[in-house]
Amino acid sequence: MVIIGGGWAGCSASITAKKAGADVYLYEKTDMLLGLGNVGGIMRNNGRFTASEELIELGAGDLINICDESSLHKNINFSGHQHANLYNVNIIEPKVRRYLEEIGVNINLIKRAVDVEVKDRKIKGIHFSDGSYMEADVFIETTGSTGPMGNCLRYGNGCCMCILRCPAFGPRISISYRAGIADLQGEREDDVYGAFSGSCELSRESLSDEIIQELNKTGVYTAPLPEEYVNLDKLKTKVCQQYALKEYAENLILLDTGHIKLMTTYFPLDKLRKIPGFENARYIDPYAGGKGNSIRYLSVAPTGNDLRVKGLKNLFCAGEKAGLFVGHTEAICTGALAGHNAVRYYLGIKPLILPRTLAIGDIIAYANDRMKIKQGRRSRYTFAGSNYFERMKELNLYTIDKEIIRDRINKVSLKDVFNQKII
Amino acid sequence: MDYEYIDCIDAGTRFCPCSLAETGECILCSCLRGEKFCDCINWKGVCIYGEFINNGQKSKNGRESYKCLIENKISRENVFYLKVSVPHSLAGELTYVGSFVFIRNEKFDNYYDTPISILEVNTEEDYIELGIELRGTKTKAIDLSEKELIIRGPYWNGIFGIKKINSLKEKRALIITNGIGIIPAIPLIKKLTENGNHIILISDTSNLDLSYVKSKIKNYNIKEIYLNIFSNGNLTEEFVNILNKYKEDTDLIHVSAQDIIILRISDLISDKSFTCCNNAKMCCGEGGCGACSARFSGHKVKKLCKLQIEPKYLFRERRLI
Repeated sequence: MVIIGGGWAGCSASITAKKAGADVYLYEKTDMLLGLGNVGGIMRNNGRFTASEELIELGAGDLINICDESSLHKNINFSGHQHANLYNVNIIEPKVRRYLEEIGVNINLIKRAVDVEVKDRKIKGIHFSDGSYMEADVFIETTGSTGPMGNCLRYGNGCCMCILRCPAFGPRISISYRAGIADLQGEREDDVYGAFSGSCELSRESLSDEIIQELNKTGVYTAPLPEEYVNLDKLKTKVCQQYALKEYAENLILLDTGHIKLMTTYFPLDKLRKIPGFENARYIDPYAGGKGNSIRYLSVAPTGNDLRVKGLKNLFCAGEKAGLFVGHTEAICTGALAGHNAVRYYLGIKPLILPRTLAIGDIIAYANDRMKIKQGRRSRYTFAGSNYFERMKELNLYTIDKEIIRDRINKVSLKDVFNQKII
Repeated sequence: MDYEYIDCIDAGTRFCPCSLAETGECILCSCLRGEKFCDCINWKGVCIYGEFINNGQKSKNGRESYKCLIENKISRENVFYLKVSVPHSLAGELTYVGSFVFIRNEKFDNYYDTPISILEVNTEEDYIELGIELRGTKTKAIDLSEKELIIRGPYWNGIFGIKKINSLKEKRALIITNGIGIIPAIPLIKKLTENGNHIILISDTSNLDLSYVKSKIKNYNIKEIYLNIFSNGNLTEEFVNILNKYKEDTDLIHVSAQDIIILRISDLISDKSFTCCNNAKMCCGEGGCGACSARFSGHKVKKLCKLQIEPKYLFRERRLI
């Protein structure tokens, strides 16, 4: 099995595929795994707690556990979000990489997939930019939907030198598009394609002692914005609708994830430095976070609820590739399902479609339904907030009671389903 | 697995983006080919679309022409050699394998621009050496030049397979040339020698007096074999025997000859790593005029003045009429 894209979704798919018994080859264009996960860090907030526990019960809690163990702050609250864990972005990637190596996943870094060979609606193999070619029985694409540079330029503020490092490692390619399946795009509120990544990172030492102390202690810092800087319209442009609340436009909200996460798409540096405590502020990610951020959601593949790409027989996808999902937890959950179903496909077994009585099953089905209508393409789907978290509450899917979640999984006989070796 | 990677020789250089970008015909960039989204299969290290936008949605300036002094001329039967003074910046850009310039007699108009490979370049004394076979009106016009020449450059797409050549280190190369094709092979021999490669040269000097070139080859410690390669539309038996003798122990075979010879040899060495010279007719050298266009099945048109392709794709499914 070949998995293209070593972000959270690809790593998660590697794990469940490996557990199911496949020979897994993971390909990543940069020199590190986790992609945007290297500048993320927010876990278990709001409905993500539920999803994390469901995933643990389903037998694929490996990455959730690593994130929990790597947390700088646990069970904290910040505007609109409860019981969040913040993992340390500085230590997370090596931990995940070593875990994957331990369980026997073949990791191939600095390998950029550029094209495919297709026959009879099946992908035969993948061409890489270095001239090599790899064949496999089944493929999973978890290349995300961020950038690359040409897209950030046309639909955003240009390349802002984010963690994906296209100028160094080359742009991501949509494998499903190369295989002849048209990509779908998400839209911003004002009917423009794509959305800005929702946060950036500042260097810890560049902030004032007072801010650093507060962040060390509580994990959160809120700085009210001078009136002239308040821009409510900017909220509409971002990917992360769960952080598009009024508080985020009226204040600068910082979270301690190892670096200091600034919960806004971008903020001009000269303006930022006029705010008390931020006089010496400096961006770590994107490097040009004063100018803009990466553009996402321009290459979603049409998938079924089993996460198989429509139009091809042996390509599955997960993470942002599979829908307008936001977040690490969403990527890990969809990745786990895709990895497992890819092996089921190889064996000729019916794929697993998670029931809608599970938050994970419901979000996948719901996002798929909504993708078909224009209004739905302007929303994002995350357990952590916005429309979908409201829905979770309405349907009584949201809970932090582990007993209830355990029952939920047992009721549909899916306990440890991702832990079973099926080959 | 057969897969045709394509490359544009000018991508990322000071001539990129070229005028093809302004008309939505960029060879590499999907955004500059009228597509809505970035599909950058052929990333060359620079975002060409970005360069285009940052340049005010305009292409960069193309090559310039320079009036250059002829320092020396050696005339032989059917061929002549020129040593020409060039601006220092131009000399520095002609040091690459596959470099060439367009030259013409200043008394004739620009349709007389003739693409000629660089035989040798000296960046300290700022001159280039060229070897020109007398064939028809353009080359004879150049021969008539007395003091000065118009030189337009630099151009770099004189050889297909440049990546393979530049990355060959401490291996074995077999270079086959016919007639004037020996000229562009000289910078190739220099580069391969610098990279520690062992070289065998098989050359058919035809009816040209290439003694001047042969004297330059003596500077490199290579094995030279001179014989008749081609006769009556086919490779000679003598040559085929020698080719078979040496091809097994070779890591790269380069052919610097007419297309028919390149094609015949490629049939015999299909499993070998193979590069060749670019024989396309050229006029502007920058992708606009279409003189270099070659047509392929599937309505594909390739501009050979800019496109770097693997030689094996040069003749495959090519339309001749």
